[in-house]
Amino acid sequence: MFVFFCPHCGENREEEEFGYGGEAFIPRPSAPETLDDDAWGDYLFMRKNPKGWHWEMWSHNTGCRKFFVVKRNTATNAIAGSWTLSDGRKAYDAEGGAT
Amino acid sequence: MSEPVMRSPLHSFGLASQARQIDDSCGVWANEIPYLGYISLRGDGRDQTFVTAASNALGVPLPLQSCTLSSSNDLKVLWLSPDEWMIVAAPGQANALRSCLQQALAGVRSQVVDNSGGYTKIFLGGSKALDVLRHVSVYDFESLQPNRVVGTTFGKSSAYVFRQGDGYRLIVRRSFADYIWRYLARAATPYGFGIANAAPG
Repeated sequence: MFVFFCPHCGENREEEEFGYGGEAFIPRPSAPETLDDDAWGDYLFMRKNPKGWHWEMWSHNTGCRKFFVVKRNTATNAIAGSWTLSDGRKAYDAEGGAT
Repeated sequence: MSEPVMRSPLHSFGLASQARQIDDSCGVWANEIPYLGYISLRGDGRDQTFVTAASNALGVPLPLQSCTLSSSNDLKVLWLSPDEWMIVAAPGQANALRSCLQQALAGVRSQVVDNSGGYTKIFLGGSKALDVLRHVSVYDFESLQPNRVVGTTFGKSSAYVFRQGDGYRLIVRRSFADYIWRYLARAATPYGFGIANAAPG
């Protein structure tokens, strides 16, 4: 059972209140109509699935209903922190994006 | 065609006819507080123009701190998310309040919607009310302060909960009112579950 800190509600809440939102910060292609099927398929379906630190989104389904960013270690389930999307983007970029 | 009438989502339980004075015979007392006005207000909490206009129209300051509420005699303003508030008004006041808000917020990026048909309010009190909440939800209600409101999980559904007086108030979606009422009643049965009359506010 995770306990997440929701950056919008400012409180630690139980996992049951949240929903998983998948990998964070996947850039949407700026001109999707020019992509071939492989590139579009990669954008839609291919995920990093790392063993180790992973930037992912969670949504506070039964609370504020907002998405936020969590940095979680997929091997140990340690959580490094949670941020709003914009603050999370800064933290993500500060460590050089994808790790 | 006759005029449409509002019917409480818990109408079929016949709560009014079972209601009695709160005494020591039951550990948990509950009832529905039906027909209140619910207005959904959306806007940017960091936009000073919006906050000032909304606060003036409501007559109480818009709560900007997360999970807090502000109240006056006849309405409560609940913080739901950084850009969403719920205003709970006395029966029959929703329409006037909605147009008052819409006028005050004309030209400001915002949304005011009368959602009165979409929610209902449940009073939960008695010496074992906290135990029932512990059974049905994951939130630590013991630490819930009187000026705070939390949205949290209730079984398969969710509710907004705050303290008032010596009890709790739950604001639940109409479509889940039936489910949540049965859920509370089942959790409360071992402690004795009574239908309270004249649920305060």
